[in-house]
Amino acid sequence: MANANSPLKSASGPAAQADWQVVVRRRLRAIARFIRQLFAQPSAAIGTLIVIFFLILALFGSAIAPYGENDQSHPTAVAPGTADYPLGTDFLGRDILSRVILGTSSIFVNAGLGTLVAVGIGTAVGLLIGYQGGWLDEVVSRLIDAFLALPALLIALVALGVVRGAVIDPTPTQRFLLDNSVLLVIAAVYAPIVARVVRGSTLEIKTLEFVQAARIRGETVPYILFREIFPSVVPALVVEASLRFSYAIFLVAALGFLGVGARPPTPDWGLMVSESSGGRFQLAPWALTYPAIAISLLVIGVNLMSDGIKNIVQKSE
Amino acid sequence: MKNRTLAAQSERPTVTRRRFFKVAAAGAAGTTLIACAPGAAAPAGDDTQDESSEDSSAQEDGASSGEATTLLVGWGGAPANLDPITASADVEINLLNAIYDYLIDTDDQATLVPRLAESWEVSDDGLTYTLNIVEGATWHDGDPLTLDDILWTIERLRDPEAATSDLFSAVEGVAAGDGNQIVFTLNATTPDFLFNLSDNRAVILKQNAENIGSDFNGTGPFRLVEFNPEDRATLEANGDYWGGAPAIDQLELVFFGDATAAANALRGGQIDVLLRMDNATFLGFADEGFTNVNIATNGHDLVRLRADREPGNDERVRMAFKMATDRATIFERVQLGFGAQGRDTPVGPLYGAYYTEDFELPEHDPEGARALLAEAGYEDGLDMTLFVPNLADRVALAEVLAAQWAEAGINITIEPQEEAVYYGDNGWLEVDLGITPWGSRPIPQFYLDVAYKTDAIWNEAHFSDAELDEQIDIAGSSVNPDERVAAYREIQRILIERGPVIIPYFFAQFGVFSDRVSGVNVHPFAGRTNLNTASIS
Repeated sequence: MANANSPLKSASGPAAQADWQVVVRRRLRAIARFIRQLFAQPSAAIGTLIVIFFLILALFGSAIAPYGENDQSHPTAVAPGTADYPLGTDFLGRDILSRVILGTSSIFVNAGLGTLVAVGIGTAVGLLIGYQGGWLDEVVSRLIDAFLALPALLIALVALGVVRGAVIDPTPTQRFLLDNSVLLVIAAVYAPIVARVVRGSTLEIKTLEFVQAARIRGETVPYILFREIFPSVVPALVVEASLRFSYAIFLVAALGFLGVGARPPTPDWGLMVSESSGGRFQLAPWALTYPAIAISLLVIGVNLMSDGIKNIVQKSE
Repeated sequence: MKNRTLAAQSERPTVTRRRFFKVAAAGAAGTTLIACAPGAAAPAGDDTQDESSEDSSAQEDGASSGEATTLLVGWGGAPANLDPITASADVEINLLNAIYDYLIDTDDQATLVPRLAESWEVSDDGLTYTLNIVEGATWHDGDPLTLDDILWTIERLRDPEAATSDLFSAVEGVAAGDGNQIVFTLNATTPDFLFNLSDNRAVILKQNAENIGSDFNGTGPFRLVEFNPEDRATLEANGDYWGGAPAIDQLELVFFGDATAAANALRGGQIDVLLRMDNATFLGFADEGFTNVNIATNGHDLVRLRADREPGNDERVRMAFKMATDRATIFERVQLGFGAQGRDTPVGPLYGAYYTEDFELPEHDPEGARALLAEAGYEDGLDMTLFVPNLADRVALAEVLAAQWAEAGINITIEPQEEAVYYGDNGWLEVDLGITPWGSRPIPQFYLDVAYKTDAIWNEAHFSDAELDEQIDIAGSSVNPDERVAAYREIQRILIERGPVIIPYFFAQFGVFSDRVSGVNVHPFAGRTNLNTASIS
């Protein structure tokens, strides 16, 4: 990855009127090589396939799932293995297979988009404070340190507790915040972590000659941050993002389990686990087991994939 | 508020933050329990139990020769507040009920039972109540119970600052009568007054008692020996109890993080009795060799639509909600068939003569409901938010309602609320559509007075109906039993015809006992279950 970036740097000078088609082709080639390297590692290949499998479910779930998410027109607590209900039904007579499939999108929207937003914000902040240094870096870095001293789950619980605290008549803005509260909380708790990683890389990179050169040329700060430094941060960022994604999946599930995540009857996996626990577990253990398996499988998949990415990045460095 | 949280607390929450941390605590408590089992909780240990069943006569001998028989009762929560005036949770009331005495008790049929007051008379005008107090009762510290103790306690409960003052709002004066009598003089007829005296909070304290809520000196059947709020309360039988010494030597109330942990402890032989659990947990005990008891209560979940603004101010809309609701399915799926189906009024079958099924509930008819909504001006249906306390069975009820109402064009967003916030900020009184759990009471008048009259403090539906108010007043003041029966009939008719509430079911109260325990009568309010009648074989 890092090697693939070096030609881009020379092409980014003002004198070189870069042929963008060449650039795109190079990038595509780099991505193709990256994917080849990923699938060359068996565990990473399995992980990636698992993630792709769930991604397909997330995208086309409503076409794949046999029944609706809150369709209660079925017998209750049917054991798994029947043709109609391969994974059984829960205590309210809802098909578990359908709910596990339909729940995939909630995970990907909240954990996936939440991670992307966290990466976006964290990258911008990390680049800025790493490059500028001085009091800005001191203040923001200490704030981040303080923030990271608290467990993400605790912060998320408190934040969601406040947001969800009996808003009786939400304004459209409040409604938007409520509806996306989990996504926003994921973004908020992980952005500082990403920022710290990016800041670390930026501190190293900003001393390199090409950055000095750009500064002497009189480039603007945003240009230097995003055109000069950012490409070199990307490898570390990709590793960090994939790691955050796996944590985010777990956090979304935990929040759902604790009742501050997705609202019922959303087929959120964590919520499904909690709804089927306690006394209900004895009546229909499968209603808890399958969403729990889905959570584990996706987390394992993302972790294997993330390990694979890390290997490639480390090798190329 | 107390009465509300009472219902909520006693039902087991599943997915709250509190529970998350409590589960962790329960794990720790469980470990302690197992570690302690060979010592403190020896009689409950499997080994000991096996021995005793092999040779039960030896056990009886052991009991008389000083080896204590201990009854272990599990609770899915720990007592937080033990001042009788503010105590509310089952476990709190259960501890108070073991240490102290009430003047009057109630039984599982919601009828009055003598306790410290062995009998009573009501004057013909219904304004003078004379209670004959039992002779020979003594405090745990050895002093005899006096009428001054009782009068002092009543004054404490009557204090206008006390949360219990409303129980005595009709009392003009209370004084010692001839002999061992207490005489209440009322300024208005209050036919349920004796039930007020049996309130959960109305235990009798010793005159000038200090450190109430942390020091315990009662006249009750058990004496507190050791109290660890994190783990258990250990009580010994009061051999001098005026009502006869309990058959067991020792009582331990064991506190768990939740009912699931307590249920597991019962299966593991670490406790003998569990009195409070959700429907599914109780169902899980079927065919496991325990004695399972399931009695009717008047506790209920109430679904209410605000009647003072759109859309609930239109009688047709309220009727449409009723028609869109399939009570039989709710009863089967949420209650798992335990308890009783409701009829949209708080006057349940527990109240015997006051309860009637003469008035027809609207039949389940989603299409009819949709048509009625259209007639009321909601051709495109309704989009509403349903607020629900974040407790497992309530959320399940919300999910079932959402599915059923969708067929009638009522689209629901479920908004689970943390109880502390929802009730603390009075949000539950504001929302248009909400689910509220109400605990079981021995009389229907309580619900009507606090939640159904126009000016009631918890009139959460903001319903105002002159005819209903009039009937509630008659029911709450008439000393003519027939007149009261007629008034309660009318109240049920009005609420079924045009009321703002749907009451889909009444809860059952459960008790699960290990096979060595007998003699316990489960009370509709679990905490009021008397444990002094228990015996261990």
